[in-house]
Amino acid sequence: MAPGKHQGVMPKNFDNFWLAETLRLRESLWGPLEDASELRKLQSAPGTFEARVLARARMLAEREGMAQTLAQWRSVARLTLLLFAGAAFLLGCGAAAGALGPGGSVNLAPAVTALLGLNTLAFLLWLASFLMQGSAAGSVLASAWLKLTRKLARGPDAVLLPRALLELLSRQRLQRWAAGALSHGLWVLALAGALLTLVALLVTRRYTFHWETTLLSPDTFVTLVQGLGRLPSLLGFPEPPAAIIRSSSGPSTLPDAAHAAWSIWLIGMVVTYGLLPRLAALAVSITILKRRQSTLTLDTTLPGIVELRERLMPASESTGIDRPAPSLTTSGLPPVAARPGVGTRRALVGVELPAELAWQGPELPPGVNDLGIVDSRPERRRLLATLHGDAVEQLLVCCDARQTPDRGTVAFLVELAGLAQQPRLLLLPDDASATRREQWLQQLMNAGFEVEHFFRTRAEALHWLAGNPGQGGSADDGDAGPQAGQAFSGGKGGGHDA
Amino acid sequence: MPELSNMAPAPGRTNHNGALRLAVVGHTNTGKTSLLRTLSRNPHFGEVKDSPGTTRHVEGLRLLVEGDTAVELFDTPGLEDGMALLDYLDVLAPPAERLDGPSRIQRFLDSPESLGRFEQEARVLRKLLECDAGIYVIDARDPVLAKHRDELTLLAACGHPLLPVLNFTHSPEQRIEEWRGALARLGLHAVVEFDTIAPPLDGEDQLYDKLALLLDTHASTLRALKQDIAQQRLQRHEDALALVAEMLIDIAALRLVSPPEPDRMEKAAEQLRGLARKREDHCIDALLKRYNFRSSDFPHRHLPLKGERWDMDLFHPQALKEVGIQVGKGMAAGAMAGATLDMFTAGISLGAATLIGAAAGGLWQGADKLGRRLLGRLRGYQELTVDDAVLRLLSIRELALIAALERRGHAAQGPIDISALMDGREEALRKEKLPEELLEARATPEWSTLADDYQPSLRRTEAVRRLAGKLARL
Repeated sequence: MAPGKHQGVMPKNFDNFWLAETLRLRESLWGPLEDASELRKLQSAPGTFEARVLARARMLAEREGMAQTLAQWRSVARLTLLLFAGAAFLLGCGAAAGALGPGGSVNLAPAVTALLGLNTLAFLLWLASFLMQGSAAGSVLASAWLKLTRKLARGPDAVLLPRALLELLSRQRLQRWAAGALSHGLWVLALAGALLTLVALLVTRRYTFHWETTLLSPDTFVTLVQGLGRLPSLLGFPEPPAAIIRSSSGPSTLPDAAHAAWSIWLIGMVVTYGLLPRLAALAVSITILKRRQSTLTLDTTLPGIVELRERLMPASESTGIDRPAPSLTTSGLPPVAARPGVGTRRALVGVELPAELAWQGPELPPGVNDLGIVDSRPERRRLLATLHGDAVEQLLVCCDARQTPDRGTVAFLVELAGLAQQPRLLLLPDDASATRREQWLQQLMNAGFEVEHFFRTRAEALHWLAGNPGQGGSADDGDAGPQAGQAFSGGKGGGHDA
Repeated sequence: MPELSNMAPAPGRTNHNGALRLAVVGHTNTGKTSLLRTLSRNPHFGEVKDSPGTTRHVEGLRLLVEGDTAVELFDTPGLEDGMALLDYLDVLAPPAERLDGPSRIQRFLDSPESLGRFEQEARVLRKLLECDAGIYVIDARDPVLAKHRDELTLLAACGHPLLPVLNFTHSPEQRIEEWRGALARLGLHAVVEFDTIAPPLDGEDQLYDKLALLLDTHASTLRALKQDIAQQRLQRHEDALALVAEMLIDIAALRLVSPPEPDRMEKAAEQLRGLARKREDHCIDALLKRYNFRSSDFPHRHLPLKGERWDMDLFHPQALKEVGIQVGKGMAAGAMAGATLDMFTAGISLGAATLIGAAAGGLWQGADKLGRRLLGRLRGYQELTVDDAVLRLLSIRELALIAALERRGHAAQGPIDISALMDGREEALRKEKLPEELLEARATPEWSTLADDYQPSLRRTEAVRRLAGKLARL
C-alpha cells in the first residue's frame, strides 16, 4: 500500500533510498551541499559505494532537516490515506445502500452493476496495464492521494519528497505495485463496506428481487445468472434454481425462500467478483513490494550520484610528508671573483652539452682554445686541473638551456667562473624557451653571477671570443633580459662567423 | 592469548603489511610528482611546476584496492647534486674499504653533510633504502648525461630494484632510443614509457606488469591492483555514457510551448537554447567530476574546452557544418536557430512498436496532458524543440570529451582540446537516423527533467540505458 502505511513492510532502509534520491534531486537543482566532514567520517570506515552514498544522504538529510521533513510528510501522507480509507468505506456502504434502495422490490441487473460495475472495470484496466510492458502503471487513486498529500505538506523539501518517491518507485520497479497496493487496498475497504451494508440491510429489511428485460429472452437471463453463479457456488453461495430465476421475471409473488436465495446469490457475487480478486491482487502487490524492497539497489549511473564516486571511493589517499623542507639557502658559494690573469688566451667549453649543440671547428675564430664538452666527473676534474694550472683570460661556458638547471651544474659553473678573468655564459640554443632561460638566470644569479656574464646569442658570444671586448656582456644585455634571446632565433651564428 | 591479540590486524587501513612500497626518484624536474598524480588520478597531490626543486620533501600516497592499501608510493625531491655526492662518498667510504652499497649509503646518511649540502639527496636515499623498489623517472627530452649515470649508481647502491620510467615521450624532442641504450648498458632492461600528460591507455598495465617482473613476491598485489584499475576504467566509461545519455534524453524531450506571435516565439527559442546550454554545462561538470579533473581549472566553461568548435555556440549552424552534420532545410537560423517547430507528428517517424509503447505510456500517464497540448494546438500555439542537428553535435562533442578525459593524465595542466577527437568520429551520428530512444524522447515531453511537468517513468529509464549502450557501440 502507500509507503506511509508500510513502515513495517518497507524495510527501514527504504527511507535511506528515498532520502538519497531527494538529496540527488536537491543537489542537481540547487548545487552540491558542503560535505567535507561527512566524507571524512565515511572514509574512516569500510563500505561499498552504495552504502556510502546512502550514509552520506542520511547524514546530510539529518543535518539539513530533510529527515524531519520526511517524517512530517509521512504523517501527512498517513493522514490523507486514512481520509481516503474512510471515504472509500463510506462510499462502499453508500453504493450498497443505493443499489438496494429504500426497500421493496430490487431490480437485480442494475443492483449488481451498481455494486460491482466500476470495481470490475477498474480491475480489468489494471490487468490490461500488464499488457503494456514498460509503461508505468499509475493509478488514479494513487495519484489523487499523492496530489492531496502534496497540497497538505508544504515547504521546499516537501516538494522534492514526492517527486523523489515517484522517481525511486519507478526506477526500482515498485511503482506499479505500490500504486496497486494502494488502490487495491482502498477497493477492498470500499467492497468490505458494501458487503457489510448489504448483509446488514438484507438482515434487517425486507427486499424482494426481480429482473426485467425487453430485448433479451428469459433463457438468456437464466444462463447468465447461472453462469455467474457457478464460481460463487464453489465457495458455498448456492445459485438460485432455474425455476426461481425464471419465475422472478416481473412483479410476481414468490416464496420468501426464493428472495433469500437471491440475497445469498447477491452476496456471493460481491464476495467472489469484488472482494476476493481485490484481496488477491492486494496480497500479490504487497508480496512483490516486500520482495523488491529487500533487494533495493541504488542506480549508481544517475547524474548526481556518478560524480560522487571519486570522492566517496578515492582510489588513493595521501599519507603526508616526512618532515618540512628546510628554508631555501642560497648555496654558500663565494661570489665570482676574477683572478688576475697571466695569459691572454681565450677558451671555450661546453658543460653537459648534447652533441648537436656543440661548436663546429670552423666556426671558431682563430686563437680560441676549444676545451671540448665536459660531462663526467673525470672530465670535470681534468678541466679544473687545466684551468688551475693555466689561467684563462676569456672563458666562454656554454650550457644547454633546454635542460633544467640543477644545483650540481650551477655549483660547477661557479667553480669554473672563479678560474677565469672574464667568465661568460652562453645558453644554447638561442631559441630555447624563455621560461627555461629565466630559470637558468635565476639559479645562476642566486649563485653569484651577474647579468653582464650572459650572452644573448651565439653570434654575440663569437664576436666577443674573436677579440672584440666592448661587444660582449654589456649592461644592455641585462636590460634586454633573457627573454630577448627568443627574439634572436635562428641566429645560430650563421654567416656571421664565416 | 596475548599472542592472539598481538596477531590481530590493526583496524581499518592502518594494516598495510602486504602493501608494496615504491619510492619515485629521479633527477630534478622530470615529473615525479606528475607521475604520482597520474597514477593516483588525483590532480591535487603535491605541487607540479616546470622548474627545479618544486618538491622538497618526501610525500606518501597510498593506492587503494577496495579500501585496502595495495601500493604505497613516495614522492621524493629531485636529485640535483649526484656527482658531488659521489665524490663525497668516495671520501667517506673509499672504494678500498670494499663496503657494500647500502652500507656506503648508510654511512653517508649518518654523516653531517646529509643534513647540509646533500639534505635533499639524503631524503631520497633514506626513503629508497626503506622501500621495496624505486621508480626512476626520466625526462625523455633530456640528453643522457654523466650526472644521470652517477645518480643511477647512487640509487643502485641502495640495493633495491629500479624501474626506469620515461616521461614526456610524446614530445618531439624525445630521446627514447638514446635513453633505452644507455639504460641497457647500465643493466636496466625493463623500461616503461609513460607520458604523465597523456598516458597511454594501457600505461598503468605496462608499469605494473614490469614491476611485477622485478618484484615477484608482490606479483599478486600488483595483479589485484591492475584488475581494479581496469574495472574502474570500465566503470568510469559506463558512467560517463550514462551521463551523456541522460543529457541527450533531457534535451531531446525538451519542448516549449509558445503563442504564435514571432517575438514571443523568438523569446521561447532563446529560452530553449538557454536550457539546453545549461544542461550541457551540467553534463560537462559531471563528466569532469567523474574523471576527477578539477572544475577549478575550468573557471569559464568555454575557455578550457578550447578548440574553435568548442568555443562555437551550440546553436550556430556553422558549428554543425564544421563537424560534418547535415543541416536539414528545417534548420532555422538567426533568432530561431536550433529550434524546430514541432509539427505534432513526432511519433510518425518512430517504429511501430515504439510508437505503441510510447502512446500507451503517454495515455496511461495522463490523457489530460495530451488534451492540453491539443487544446494549445487548436489555439494556434507552437511547440518548440531542439533541432536534430544540435542533438547530433551534442553527442559527438560529449563523446569526444569523454575520449579526451580518458587520454588525459592528471598531471596535465593545459586546457582540454577536443577538436582533434571530434574529427572523423562517430560517422553514424552524423548521417544516420537518430537513435530510436531520442525520437521517442521527442514525442514524450514529460521525459525531460528540464520540464516543469517532468514525470519519472520506467520507459525513460530503459531508454537512457539503451541509448548509453548504443553510444558505447559507436
